[in-house]
Amino acid sequence: MSNAFGRGFDSRRLHHDRKVKNLRIPRTARIAARAALLAAAVCLLSPPAARAGQDRRIQTVVIDPGHGGTETGAKGRFGNLEKDITMAVGLKLKALIERNMGFEVVLTRDRDVDVSLENRSAIANNHKAGLFISIHANGAVQKKAAGSETFFLSLNATDEETRRLAYLENNGTDLQNHIDPSTDDDLMMILWDMAQNAYVKESSRLAELVQIELDAMLGLRNRGIKQAPFKILRGVACPAILVEAAFISNPDEEQKLASEDYQSKVAEAIYRGLARFLRLPE
Amino acid sequence: MAAKKRKGAISTQALVLGGLALVLIVLAVVFFTGGGGEKVKRFVDANIPKPPETAAAPAATKAVTLFFISDDDDSLHKESREIAAGPTDADEAERALAELVKGSEKGLLSPLPPQTKVRQVFIAKDGLATVDFSRDIVDKFSYGSSSELAAVYAVVDTLAFNFKAVKKVVILVEGSERDTLGGHVDLSRAFFPDYSLVAR
Repeated sequence: MSNAFGRGFDSRRLHHDRKVKNLRIPRTARIAARAALLAAAVCLLSPPAARAGQDRRIQTVVIDPGHGGTETGAKGRFGNLEKDITMAVGLKLKALIERNMGFEVVLTRDRDVDVSLENRSAIANNHKAGLFISIHANGAVQKKAAGSETFFLSLNATDEETRRLAYLENNGTDLQNHIDPSTDDDLMMILWDMAQNAYVKESSRLAELVQIELDAMLGLRNRGIKQAPFKILRGVACPAILVEAAFISNPDEEQKLASEDYQSKVAEAIYRGLARFLRLPE
Repeated sequence: MAAKKRKGAISTQALVLGGLALVLIVLAVVFFTGGGGEKVKRFVDANIPKPPETAAAPAATKAVTLFFISDDDDSLHKESREIAAGPTDADEAERALAELVKGSEKGLLSPLPPQTKVRQVFIAKDGLATVDFSRDIVDKFSYGSSSELAAVYAVVDTLAFNFKAVKKVVILVEGSERDTLGGHVDLSRAFFPDYSLVAR
């Protein structure tokens, strides 16, 4: 699991462990101490944007062309593969950003190779990505399904709350004098969720602006912005979206997706949404 | 005196070494003979005993609601079906999911590849249902985001809607945990039902 968090996360975590090992908790105040520990840890783990508000300086944008290699993604009736379309759009978007904005752009893959979802998020986290954009082409069982949509991560609030309570219940009574959360997956998962919570607002804003531009440029059905528990979005420690440019499972849209002209339009739309997002006052 | 002591030390050492070797051999035997299918066990091990195999299928049936997709929109659509009842929720859940794979009788579409087999459903006391599908669920279809979400939530909603004991669902493939079915939806955590996807 910790692989997915990348270097940035791990170094914070080490720092956090050292602090915690020296912490002595009186037996009478176990739960309170637990809560204080959680709060302290969240401060250490929370993104800079949430902590200070001013040092939200984006230096690196990471673009993730979905799928690749043996993992083809969705397939179209005419034989087009999702992985090829996402690669083409990704390269065009990289070129646009590099030409017009002062950011470093990192691709999670730059050719047709397999890259695991863990490694993709690790690439983003290791490069200290300020924004993460995953590019996909959609697929549905229904041939008529059509349009573009942009996703950001759904945090299952019920799930998180349930786990938090279960954790406190299970560990509140048998707590010894010190805690070592480095061995505690539940606690790490809760902390990771809380840290990601801080990005959700920005992710939804970025998704909204990108979707507006996709709608304006592509002339497809506008499916809007949505939340989903996508693995790639869960692993990335910055605002992150996943763009579904159109349906490769829809023969009309498949032919559009396969044309270079359309791929350029998709890249241009994402670029414009990104530009609008970056000019937003904090 | 010194020599004698040394001799004693040596035999103690030999004893200790011999003991260690014995322990190692025992451990090796345990290692190589035990521990098969560890991954599956973790979920199956919980306190509920496997139901006894009944020879004759009970005549009673139970009405369940399955969640399919439709060619006309992006929602999940309900369809009711009679399945053989009992003896346990898990047995009924396996049958309900098998019906979901088999497909609609009213022209709706199944979001799961027809070759998929439901290997096992296990329902733990805390409300976590674990569903184990055959490899076909990933091998026989190239998922996009939409079809992957539909597949996952058709399963999750079908289980949670019909079985009160089910609060959340984990999906396994061929007995093991998997990242995703097709590169999108995170399978490493349990899913709560999402009825907002169901057509009204």
